[in-house]
Amino acid sequence: MSDVTVKNDKFYFINSDTIQAEKITAPRYSYWASVFRVFFRKKINIVLISLFVLLILATFIIPIFAPYKPYENITDAKTFNLSPKAAMAYFGGFSFKWMLGTGGMGNSIFYGIMSSARTSLILAVICAAINMTVGIILGAVWGYSKRFDQVMLVIYNIIANVPYILVISVVVYIISAGFWSFIFALTITGWLGIAYFFRTQVLIIRDREYSLASRCLGTPIPRMISKNILPFLTSVTVTLLATELPSYIGMEVFLSYIGVGLSAEVPSLGRMIQEGQNAFLIYPWVFWPPVIIAATITIILYVLGQNLADASDPRTHM
Amino acid sequence: MRKYLLKRILFSLFSLLVVVTTVMLLVYTLIERSVIFQMDDVWNKKNANDRASYEYTQYQKFGYLEYNDYAAFLKAKYEALYGADYTKNADFKADLEAIQDENAYLENASVQEFIQQNEAKGYKATYLSPVRSSNGKVKKGGNAYLLAVRELSPFVRLWKYITQLITVETTNDVKDEALTDRYIRVEKDPYNGLFAVVGSGTTHKYLLYFNGRFPFIHQNFLHLNLGTSFTKYRGSEITTVINTPTGNQIKTHTQYPAQIGTDQYVDTAIDFHSLRYNSNPRNATEMKQFPDQYTAYSYRIGGLSMIENSFVAGIIATLIAYLLGLPLGISMARHKDGWLDKIGNGYIIFIMAVPSLAYIFLFATIGTTLFGLPYKFANAEVKILAYVLPTISLALPQVGSLMKWMRRYMIDQMNSDYVKFARAEGLSEKEIFRKHISKNAMIYLVHGIPANILGCLTGAIITERVYAMPGVGNLLTTAINGHDNGIIVACTVFYTTLSLISVILGDLLLAKYDPRISLSSSKGGGR
Repeated sequence: MSDVTVKNDKFYFINSDTIQAEKITAPRYSYWASVFRVFFRKKINIVLISLFVLLILATFIIPIFAPYKPYENITDAKTFNLSPKAAMAYFGGFSFKWMLGTGGMGNSIFYGIMSSARTSLILAVICAAINMTVGIILGAVWGYSKRFDQVMLVIYNIIANVPYILVISVVVYIISAGFWSFIFALTITGWLGIAYFFRTQVLIIRDREYSLASRCLGTPIPRMISKNILPFLTSVTVTLLATELPSYIGMEVFLSYIGVGLSAEVPSLGRMIQEGQNAFLIYPWVFWPPVIIAATITIILYVLGQNLADASDPRTHM
Repeated sequence: MRKYLLKRILFSLFSLLVVVTTVMLLVYTLIERSVIFQMDDVWNKKNANDRASYEYTQYQKFGYLEYNDYAAFLKAKYEALYGADYTKNADFKADLEAIQDENAYLENASVQEFIQQNEAKGYKATYLSPVRSSNGKVKKGGNAYLLAVRELSPFVRLWKYITQLITVETTNDVKDEALTDRYIRVEKDPYNGLFAVVGSGTTHKYLLYFNGRFPFIHQNFLHLNLGTSFTKYRGSEITTVINTPTGNQIKTHTQYPAQIGTDQYVDTAIDFHSLRYNSNPRNATEMKQFPDQYTAYSYRIGGLSMIENSFVAGIIATLIAYLLGLPLGISMARHKDGWLDKIGNGYIIFIMAVPSLAYIFLFATIGTTLFGLPYKFANAEVKILAYVLPTISLALPQVGSLMKWMRRYMIDQMNSDYVKFARAEGLSEKEIFRKHISKNAMIYLVHGIPANILGCLTGAIITERVYAMPGVGNLLTTAINGHDNGIIVACTVFYTTLSLISVILGDLLLAKYDPRISLSSSKGGGR
């Protein structure tokens, strides 16, 4: 025992305030506000978002003022496959139009990739929106209900196994190749893969202890799905979105390669890459610009998605 | 559990049936059938009725309909009456000419017989009347045809397909009455000294035998008929196409069946285990070579078959992907935001961002110019090197995707309570990551393992095209472009079976790996 003496004048009485005692001292918490606080703490995200907005503006505005005409020089064989330098020399001095050279039909590569990128972006956003919405809602119910699971598994086994190349070929054949028929072909069965992915995720969480406890307390299914299961899957959902959005650009390239892509009138990155792939050693400027623009869009979307997924885990919000 | 599994298998078989029906309806009814002539030179050269008749031949070949031709009917009729010289018979000539008169052809007795016979069988008589120019002469290709046509309904087609899916060889396969001695018995195999099951009256002579080729034991009792190709592999069964080796013929020092027991030897590429019954009488040479009517054979061919090519490249790529991707994903999560995480993320982003077509070309160029690896499959001098680039091309995206998901799940688990608890207990970080987090993160990845392994059997489309690799990946795409309906259906059945098996195996593996997951409703409360 030490000899410290505490004097009484160090203490004073406080009156108990019942109104004050009822107030909760914890700060107000909003989940999404904290997500974005963590998200914007990283400077790279702001840079990427600005870059993305710039890219969207460029791909939407440039084609309005400078429409892409792939066949404007088709009669002049001297304009085919010109390097940027040769193209600008041929068409007289520096111009934005010819700064990336010309393609196999004397078409401007720069205007081409701008129009194509717009097509690809719209395609990716529409397809991802339809497929993700349908996929997540159905997948959540599918994974949660064991009876629905058995029915849906049969449906999944049927639809997922009809080769999608065949489905796309048939759809494109029946309702003629075009932008909307291509979207229809990509979404008619595209949601199923996402729904199945979600089903497996939900299946894993469904039997966790907290879900069991919640069910014992009589929580109705819709609330179980929206409060117990889906929030747990936010980071997975965002990661999936980050992979899903760019995947349609890659898918379009692949389908163009095997010959069931968009029709020739619609400029698309897939068609440009497919046209450039045979000559990518001789005329690299035909091949690389569409690849680079596709890659840039993908990288931006993916990095933003990953960072958003990291930020969406509330345990990182401290 | 067993009941649940049985139910799942039955449901899967049902879905397989529905898939086949759907695909048959898609390819046979939704796509206009005349597209098969778009690229057909023969069709372009033919005119008028010749063209129409050619269309019926092609439709029958592609499985749209069945038809009988009047000329063939006459041939059968008069051959039975007058033997091989039937063409010189005056009645035959008169009957054949009768249909060229559009006003009087119905009065001919043979024509009436043909029509009645076929209408009784459900065929519809179709008369293509002669196409004449203004002076009454028949135009080029305008000769009249008399056909009896029957459209195949989707259900008839489906029924035919299912009943012929698996055929069993029996001693009654050979319809030759000259063959009296029919048996199936175990004999000593003269070609390798082991035993073999030998049949007489069966289509194949050797029903069960051993040889040095994978899988070393071969059988001919059961045959799978997934579908027949009409265009690219003219009349071949798809299972034969994908299982036939794609290399060169291999000659061996061996004996013809009739030479066994003598000291006569030949150097030949014939595979004597492949002998099949041939009903044509043996000629003088064949008499010396073969003791019986089993004289049809195929050759011994080296190299891997199409499906083996795809599987070898695919399975090595998958192994590389798991062996590299999982540890890398774990390390990336452990040193989150460290240099490895940054490089790894860069790689993942690269693979995702650059369309596969572009990076396959990129890696092909790097591999061929820097390392001197063979580019096109057929040009490779050392065969094994030809697999290097395709395998790497297949592994690259898989490694990336496994890294990506493993990292994601690891990071999701890293803040869990059990991790904090393990840390509080004083476990080392290494132990926590290796034994606790990675095991829990793997739960999410276990489900896909069977699909990844079985998926190797379906091949890869772009990789195989770029390297001109003889694999199964492009079967379906070329079949769709060439309207090869038999192959489309066959591929669908093959792919569907594989993916149905992988879904069931994936669920079983998931339930085995994580005991908290119950698949059947009986456990963990019914819902």
